[in-house]
Amino acid sequence: MQTDRRDFLKLSMAGAAALSTMSAGATLSGCTSSGPASGMKLLRPEDVELLRALTPAVMKGKVAPGDAAAIDRTLQSFDTLLVDLSEPVVAGVHQAFDVLSFGLTRGLTTGQWSAWSKASLEDAESALARLRDSSIGLLNAIYSAVIRLIISAWYLIPENAATTGYPGPPKKVVGKVPAAAPVEEVAP
Amino acid sequence: MTDLSTITFGTNTDPYNKAAERGWDITDASQLTSSLELEADVVIVGTGAGGGTAAETLSKAGLSVVLLEAGPLKTSSEFDMQERAAYRDLYQEGTGRGTKDGGMVILQGRSVGGSTTVNWTTSFRTPPETLKFWAEHMGVSGCSVEEMAPYFEHMEGRLNIHEWPQDPNNNNAMLQRAAEKLGYPWATIRRNVRGCLNLGYCGLGCPVDAKQSMLVTTIPGALDNEAKLVHRARVVRILRDGDVVAGVEAEALTSDVRGATGQRITVRATRTILAGGAINTPAILLRSDVPDPHGRIGKRTFLHPTTLTMAIYDELIDPYYGAPQSIYSDHFQWQNVNTGPVGFKLEVPPLQPAFAAGFYGAAGEQITQSMDKLNHTQCMIALMRDGFHEESQGGAVEINDKGQPILDYPINGYLLEGVRRAFNIMLEMQFATGAKSARPAHKQAKHYMSWNEAKAAVAELDVAAHKSTIGSAHVMGGCPMGNDPKKSVTNVDGKFHHLDNLYIMDGSLFPTSIGANPQLSIYGLAYKLSTALLAHFQA
Repeated sequence: MQTDRRDFLKLSMAGAAALSTMSAGATLSGCTSSGPASGMKLLRPEDVELLRALTPAVMKGKVAPGDAAAIDRTLQSFDTLLVDLSEPVVAGVHQAFDVLSFGLTRGLTTGQWSAWSKASLEDAESALARLRDSSIGLLNAIYSAVIRLIISAWYLIPENAATTGYPGPPKKVVGKVPAAAPVEEVAP
Repeated sequence: MTDLSTITFGTNTDPYNKAAERGWDITDASQLTSSLELEADVVIVGTGAGGGTAAETLSKAGLSVVLLEAGPLKTSSEFDMQERAAYRDLYQEGTGRGTKDGGMVILQGRSVGGSTTVNWTTSFRTPPETLKFWAEHMGVSGCSVEEMAPYFEHMEGRLNIHEWPQDPNNNNAMLQRAAEKLGYPWATIRRNVRGCLNLGYCGLGCPVDAKQSMLVTTIPGALDNEAKLVHRARVVRILRDGDVVAGVEAEALTSDVRGATGQRITVRATRTILAGGAINTPAILLRSDVPDPHGRIGKRTFLHPTTLTMAIYDELIDPYYGAPQSIYSDHFQWQNVNTGPVGFKLEVPPLQPAFAAGFYGAAGEQITQSMDKLNHTQCMIALMRDGFHEESQGGAVEINDKGQPILDYPINGYLLEGVRRAFNIMLEMQFATGAKSARPAHKQAKHYMSWNEAKAAVAELDVAAHKSTIGSAHVMGGCPMGNDPKKSVTNVDGKFHHLDNLYIMDGSLFPTSIGANPQLSIYGLAYKLSTALLAHFQA
């Protein structure tokens, strides 16, 4: 157990070092575009391309690969979600996307050697499985972050939340006295 | 439960609707057009369990108090029980806060009331085992069960803490039923509520002010006592006059509290109390470059690392409705105190959809098909009691080059053993109560159809840090109190060892994790320390 853990940590550190170097490389060599994509506040064009490919795989059964409208709604929700996070979190997400978006690191970490715009549903599923099953902790963490954000973005849309059998919250009516159970009269 | 979406109620419970009438002095720092300078007997940084309690105690005795809060003032008039707005407005980093290596997600509040505005109301006194451990191993005097009792009693009265008298919701009832089946002792949780409608939205801001959070109790109390509240004001550093602390300097944040406006707030005070929680309090000390001869600040930060299992039943569970936590079991918590494998408390969480969806660590049909049955889903959580065993030293709060706090808390083999054991125990409990399928929060797991299948699969799972879903809603420690300055940051009065007039009154004082949901531990300790501080003023 002890040896396993040390090996895992070493591998993870080595992996983290290599990836952060490559991520910096991707940025320095001008692969990262500077501004947000059109209609987005924080998602960059390459993020949009990546997420268009990954969303139907992450949300399989809810978002079909050809359903551009559903994908766009999810991406809009994702962009809003990023705005609602903090600057350090957004920086981390952008770094993770850099690793997944550009040539060498994209290929090495996900097996996707051509552009994400050319990826099939199967390609996206296989990319996610590689990140999930990797023995490098950093790649597992990137997998967690990416799927969690896509899934949250999708379920944060109230009509999507309703697909879980969740009827939604009670309604508040401005000015109305709390009628369900007046606060002062409920004991204790 | 009945479909609560058909219920309507009003919005007239908000005490802040009468702020002007009651003469409350509240400043939204985002609206400042010039710098603000204030003077007070006491400046309190943070309005959560520690800051709120201290503010009421000190202002009631006639001291002038200024409360600074980095988050916004959001009140029940705005609490609409929608997940997006709540996570954005009421949580640190919009719920995006995590540990440095991404191994754990951290839920912490960030608005007036701190985490008390969004916690699930679960109220335990600090367990006797924990207080005994502090006395025997951590150099803490004056905090025995008997010595703490009057302070807990006072706060329990103030916050109407009582055993939940209604039936548990189905999510909690399943924990009770499983414990009964397997012979584990269980008990009913005490909650700080008054006139609770049993809705289930504690985590999104109580819409009817039934939760007796700091937002609706001690802070209104302090404002009635002429305390001043400045929100959207992030404390950058403490001000020093040699070895004496003279107040704090803060920056005004923008309306969305994601940026700074450029305006400064300076508060000069006879006493400075830090109560920003166990990540922000050490971060303020680190940014202020205060003396730390033994390198203790931010070290031994604890999280109750928490993992979970999800099960699907034939019957309706509706896990998003009803008091979120009403049943717990400590059967696996105190089998050892500081030897042997890690102990954990068993509870359940509320499952509003976007929140629940993040639990699985799964993608594709694994997640979408699970979520299709959310209304039939029960979730168990195991909160591991870190900081007692020598192999559990917790994490360290650091600041980056921008002064932003980061918690470095690698999950080691000691905790991972607890994760695997908890998976087994909770899955067995779920199948024992008739779950049709259940899965542990592990990225390579799936829904298993029987306890035998689950047990065999968990034995084969690679329970590594980043392959398991582990999170925290309880940040504790980092500025431990104690008599030995080599091992602690403050004395047992909460006074910083190395500078005068600087006090800490929040969960960062705990020398270990609590081993129970920590809000009442913070209330009791903050009431004790602020009462003691009062004696200094009166002397």
